[in-house]
Amino acid sequence: MKTIFRIITLILFISPAVWAQDSPYQKAMKKEIASLITTDSLPQLQRSANAFARIAELNPSEWQPAYYQALAYIYQSFNMALAIDKKDEALAKADELVKKADAISPNNPEIMTMQGFVTIAKLSADPAGRGQSLSGVAMQTLGKSLTMDNKNPRTLLLMAQMEYGMARFFGSGTEKACGLAKQSLAIFSSQDEEALKAAIQPTWGKNQAEGMVANCK
Amino acid sequence: MKATFTFITLLVTTATFAQTNITGKVTDAKGVAIPGVNVYLKGTYDGTSSDARGGFAFETDETGNQLLTVQALGFEIQQISIRCNGQLVSHDIKLLESINVLTAVTITAGAMEASDEKKSVVLKPLDIVTTSGAMGDITAALLTLPGTSTVGNDGRLFVRGGDASETAIFVDGMQVGNAFGTTASNVPTRTRFSPNLFKGSFFSTGGYSAEYGQALSSALALNTLDLPLRNQGDLSIMALGGGYTQTLVGKQQSLTASANYYNLAPYQSIIKQNFDWEQAPASWDSEISLRHKWGNAAKSRSGMLKAYFHSEGNRMAIWQKIPGSDSRGDRIQLRNNYHYGNLSFRHSNSNGWLLYGGAAYSYNKDAWKLNFDPVRQVTTLSHTKIVAVRDFSSRFSLKNGLEWYIKTYSEALTDQNLRRDFTDHQLNHFAEGSYYFSNRLVMVGGVRTGYSSLARQVWIDPRFSMAYKFENEGQVSFAAGRFNQLPEEKTRIHDINLKNTSATHYILNYFIVNNNRTLRAEAFYKNYNHLTTWQGNASEPFDIAQNGTGYARGFDLFYRDKKSLKSTDFWITYSFIDSKRQYATYTTRIQPSFAPRHNASVVAKHFVTGLKSQLGLSWSWNSGYPYNDSNLPGEMQRKTGMYSDLSLSWSYLPRPNVIIHAACSNVLGRNNVFGYRYATQPDETGTYASLPVGQGARRFAFIALFITLSKDKSANQLNNL
Repeated sequence: MKTIFRIITLILFISPAVWAQDSPYQKAMKKEIASLITTDSLPQLQRSANAFARIAELNPSEWQPAYYQALAYIYQSFNMALAIDKKDEALAKADELVKKADAISPNNPEIMTMQGFVTIAKLSADPAGRGQSLSGVAMQTLGKSLTMDNKNPRTLLLMAQMEYGMARFFGSGTEKACGLAKQSLAIFSSQDEEALKAAIQPTWGKNQAEGMVANCK
Repeated sequence: MKATFTFITLLVTTATFAQTNITGKVTDAKGVAIPGVNVYLKGTYDGTSSDARGGFAFETDETGNQLLTVQALGFEIQQISIRCNGQLVSHDIKLLESINVLTAVTITAGAMEASDEKKSVVLKPLDIVTTSGAMGDITAALLTLPGTSTVGNDGRLFVRGGDASETAIFVDGMQVGNAFGTTASNVPTRTRFSPNLFKGSFFSTGGYSAEYGQALSSALALNTLDLPLRNQGDLSIMALGGGYTQTLVGKQQSLTASANYYNLAPYQSIIKQNFDWEQAPASWDSEISLRHKWGNAAKSRSGMLKAYFHSEGNRMAIWQKIPGSDSRGDRIQLRNNYHYGNLSFRHSNSNGWLLYGGAAYSYNKDAWKLNFDPVRQVTTLSHTKIVAVRDFSSRFSLKNGLEWYIKTYSEALTDQNLRRDFTDHQLNHFAEGSYYFSNRLVMVGGVRTGYSSLARQVWIDPRFSMAYKFENEGQVSFAAGRFNQLPEEKTRIHDINLKNTSATHYILNYFIVNNNRTLRAEAFYKNYNHLTTWQGNASEPFDIAQNGTGYARGFDLFYRDKKSLKSTDFWITYSFIDSKRQYATYTTRIQPSFAPRHNASVVAKHFVTGLKSQLGLSWSWNSGYPYNDSNLPGEMQRKTGMYSDLSLSWSYLPRPNVIIHAACSNVLGRNNVFGYRYATQPDETGTYASLPVGQGARRFAFIALFITLSKDKSANQLNNL
């Protein structure tokens, strides 16, 4: 009996601590985020999108599920095997999800940046046909996001990628693009990734920033 | 210890006992497996995605009645009631496809759309402004599309054997009166509106929606930009003049104001002109546009209000030779003043309602001096419109609209105190339903009714169209309809009882876009009735009747390719038009001067990164214009030589915010003739003397510098080229 009592005490003692650490929402989010940012397989990305959709339905006041679901669709659109129609279908869904996230959490620089990412993905689906009309829109959206938070490493990274593309197009120097990429990577490196992950704050983009900085050398 | 074990075992077994396995397979209506479908119990975290073969399996701890929800992009959501009691639940699910506006079939018969957002487009909005030879004129760019004819001594839009008055032009759904600048006869004109105002256009060469009326051949709907991107100033300095545009953007509203001045006198003093100008064309224009939007599309209630005002003035004086006379000829002086105001709105809400409409007013005053005799003509058009669209489901939507037009026209010989005028009220109602049978098949049916107070006539125009998309993404569409149009005001003023002229269209179209290549082929038949005929001079006609008939038939081809040649985008157009009609003073059916039989054009754009330049080429050609030779019996017996114009352009971007643009039309210096004018009386030898109707100058060269001032250094005026 003594043992049982001890076990029960232990359970009672531990459980609240466990719960405080991770609600079912947080647990599900962490698991899905981890699998989303480590894959580029189409079926896995679709599984991620579906999982975030399920989480979003249960947590209508959280912006992160829609945000990550949008990211899953954007990643899908970068798959070379997809026809442009399918890419556009995925990106239309991403667009809708970003707007949904924005309605839950207005003036959020992370969501504004995701909006910029959707535009960049649309542009990438057909650079020749959409470059001229969408590059301005993408720069504008990212610019708006930087006015809200000029230290967001993802905004800086996407800005760097846009600047890089334009510098290549106009045949001008890539110093500005590379400067932005370095700035982005420096911020990524200074952040406590584990703490952000624990708080379900966005952490994606560091690898791309590293790749771009390496490219710049 | 034993007790502890029992306790834990008990816990575990209870859990195991409550678990239910749910499995099944998801397929479409034809039984084809759908992978990546979201399958879950509503209101729980329990769920999974279907695998490559459509199969799914997951476990749940939930018990009792649950809703199994099945959801996938492109399909209608399905919910199935199941009971979870620890026993295996197995369900095979068939999903019905949902209508996806993005990828579903669209009606392309007669229609050519320029848009950045839609699929079935032939042009991007930017193409209209970067087409070499267009010189920034919307119409000139549209003349490189199938179904149109270039009439070099007019400059307006001629569609499939129809004259220029048979095309109606709309800005944000509201009609524009006198959309082209007034000009002397045989001196080409331009559209009044700058292409950088518009985010897209819808150009129909026939068979269009019941929303548009009073146009026998064609409708051109231009949609203005929504909120501009940023605060910026745009400065343009050209050989012919210059202008400045300032844009201010707020969170939900924006203001754009611009002013321009052009004067061809300095240019014409350097480059030799064929026309005998006394005062070279000079013009000013100013524009203000305001935008205000509200709501959030994600929260379902949203809308936008647009206001646009345009004012301009033009001056010119020209001498035109009279066939058979050695004098300087007739002197034509024109002072034109034009104002256009347009207020439009759209509002949509969550219940599937969309409301749009507006009010617009056009005022055009032409003060002529014809050999020093003053003539004043004033035309006004006011248009009010309200349209409600209701989506009853993703498949069926119904559009209902009411329109009220007031058209007035007056002309006066001011020094003789003679004046005449008319006012016509027109009421229109239109209703149009569209139904998607599937993503592949759509049908649209509509009817437009109208009443004119002046003609005292009621008319009913049915319209129908449908489209079917094949497996390979190609699609075929068909459109037919009846179209009514009252005669031009300059004829109506002589007989205010004139009724509608009418046309019936039948159009069959094939359209395919694949991998940056577009092919469009279209055949058409158009039947004209009640065309206006008269005797005598067009300015003083008599015996006006409406018994003229005619037809236009033919086909056209359009191929565009952005893929085959590196950094090059080109399109090729061919239109065959076989048209005859009895109209104006003709006593038999003749091929009209504005309907050449064979028409072709080639447009190419090539970007050279090393030169930071876009090079453009456009070539337009037709087989010649019919004309009436007064020295021969019969009517319209002869045809001019073929027309050909090769234009080149070069846009150089030294810095992202600076563009230098140079262009030259008719580079080869070909002497194009559009017809001949004949003396009204024969000379002493009994022959009628003639003069060719030709070009204003052999070539037209254009150079301009565009500078954009904004915080964003990469912004430029590419839109203005």
